[in-house]
Amino acid sequence: MSESSVKRLFAELLFQNKLTAFGFVFSSFFLVLAFIEGVFRGRLAPYNPYAFNLLQANLPPSFSHFFGTNFEGQDIFSRVLAALPIDMGLPLAVVFVASLIGLLSGSIAAFFGGLLDEVIARLTDIFLAFPTIIMALAIAATLGPSLFNAFLALLFVWWPPYVRLVRGRALEVVSQDFIAASKALNTRFYYILLRGIIPNVLPSVIVYATMDVGTALLSLSTLGYLGLISPNTPELGQMVSSISNNLYTYPWEALLPAAIVFLMVLSFSFLGDGLRELLDVKVRPHIFIREKVEDV
Amino acid sequence: MTTPQEFAFFVLKRAVSSLFTLFGVFVIVFLISHVISPNPALLWAGFKAKQSTVQAIAERYHLNVPLPQQFYYFLKDYITGNLGIDPVTGRPISSEIAFYLPNTLELVFASLVLVIALGVFLGYISAMNFGGKRDVAIRVFYLVSWATPTYLGAILAVLAFATYFKLFPSGGMYSPTLSPPPHITGIFVLDALLTGNLKDFASGLYHLTLPALTLAFLNFGIITRVARSSILEVRWSPHVKSAAAKGLSQREIRVRHVLRNGLIDVNTLGAIMFGWLLTGTVVVEQIFAWPGIGQFAFFAISSDDYPALVPIVLVFTAGVIIANFVADILYSVLDPRIRLGGSK
Repeated sequence: MSESSVKRLFAELLFQNKLTAFGFVFSSFFLVLAFIEGVFRGRLAPYNPYAFNLLQANLPPSFSHFFGTNFEGQDIFSRVLAALPIDMGLPLAVVFVASLIGLLSGSIAAFFGGLLDEVIARLTDIFLAFPTIIMALAIAATLGPSLFNAFLALLFVWWPPYVRLVRGRALEVVSQDFIAASKALNTRFYYILLRGIIPNVLPSVIVYATMDVGTALLSLSTLGYLGLISPNTPELGQMVSSISNNLYTYPWEALLPAAIVFLMVLSFSFLGDGLRELLDVKVRPHIFIREKVEDV
Repeated sequence: MTTPQEFAFFVLKRAVSSLFTLFGVFVIVFLISHVISPNPALLWAGFKAKQSTVQAIAERYHLNVPLPQQFYYFLKDYITGNLGIDPVTGRPISSEIAFYLPNTLELVFASLVLVIALGVFLGYISAMNFGGKRDVAIRVFYLVSWATPTYLGAILAVLAFATYFKLFPSGGMYSPTLSPPPHITGIFVLDALLTGNLKDFASGLYHLTLPALTLAFLNFGIITRVARSSILEVRWSPHVKSAAAKGLSQREIRVRHVLRNGLIDVNTLGAIMFGWLLTGTVVVEQIFAWPGIGQFAFFAISSDDYPALVPIVLVFTAGVIIANFVADILYSVLDPRIRLGGSK
């Protein structure tokens, strides 16, 4: 992509559609915030997110505590800030690695075909049968509560749609003449992969992945909500469930962190939806559906 | 027309393929539960268990024998339905699942109906107003619903409709003052209806409304998107134009030619939706105190109850595989193109 087309893309993202602009601005905002917070280790937070202060427990939102305090007197706003690098970074990592797996094995399946394709397709089918959160739950429960295990658990169920998506697109590419020409010239596979297949498949993957960051965040925070991330780690979903006893008396303690999750997911959905139209790629939810049933 | 033999062969083929997938699922769950953990016995007994408990659990689930034998016993337990005693509750796990599963199915089927009705309706409106204000509004609505974490949606629903407005009960499956109907299917609302117990039926429906609506509103987006795009595909297609040319009324064209096409993909999506709704029950049932398998899963996780968690995962996954199978069969029955394809 040349420099001017990148500029044009940004301009279109910002000015063509209000929803897309909203998504672009907010997801960049959360990304930058998470990055700064992650690099400077909590300089942004007004309070120590881990410090107890039982004299100031369950305070409502005010100017000194933007989001109020929880039952242990921890400042919720600081905890939300401390959770951002985790809740932003982990879904990004999951989606990134899943994309890599998808790009590689989807292209291999499409390019080589035959038995290899069959094996990859079967394996993908089996993994797609697992309801994501349930399976991630089982793995997280097996490995024990930690962030890295949550990452592994999510990755375990996250890659199949990517393989499906890439394989479908790559099949279209592989059937074209320039690939046949490359093959005839005895070009190595990795060269065809890098120069032929991936550039043609990438837009679809990027669009799908952008929307998927939000979904991964939803699943991650659900794992946290269900108690599969250790309670010392500030994680937004875990913060929601940790106060469930106080839900009716101090609803903001649950609603504010949950609202941040909502806002993050929403901005990535808007951005992904806008990108889909701008790049004009079809990423239909159909990739979840197994290939059309053969005729009776 | 396809002959019954051909159809039976097709069903058989799909059934075999589903069984194959199920077997693969068993292998993977076995690998996770028996192989990847450094100390499976401790995992199954719970990390705080006493040494004697660990040994008893290892004995019961055959965790000390060679792996191929472990897999044999693992499969055998599921084929005979003998899953052992739940170490936390002290009841047999298979009967616990038999108790919780119908309640979840009640919730999931109720929201499946709502999800499809809502999704197709909004998708239709959206496609018919393509690019208009309603199209944009519906798009925003489904992205908002999609982005709402299940716990947030459920908590908001309870806070708004049960706590502040008191329109619906905040939890439970039926009023505790009523006696439940006799056990026929295990699905409360259905049993009440079958035995003609209208009081139970009304109470069951009343309690069902809020959790089912919550699940439906959090999941309808994908159906709307697919219904919208399939309707858009046919809306200006030649066969719709020719239907107009031969003088069919607008209403007839919309129902018979446009809407019907929107429903074909939705059918296949129903299976995926079933899986998503099942997954959603883990959070929704916990918040609405709905005694289903989702809540059972929640308790199993929070009490380190691994012997119960493994069967729960398998039940959920088997549910998704069965739903896929049913959708495949329905697809071949419903899609007129496939039916017509056979008649030459």
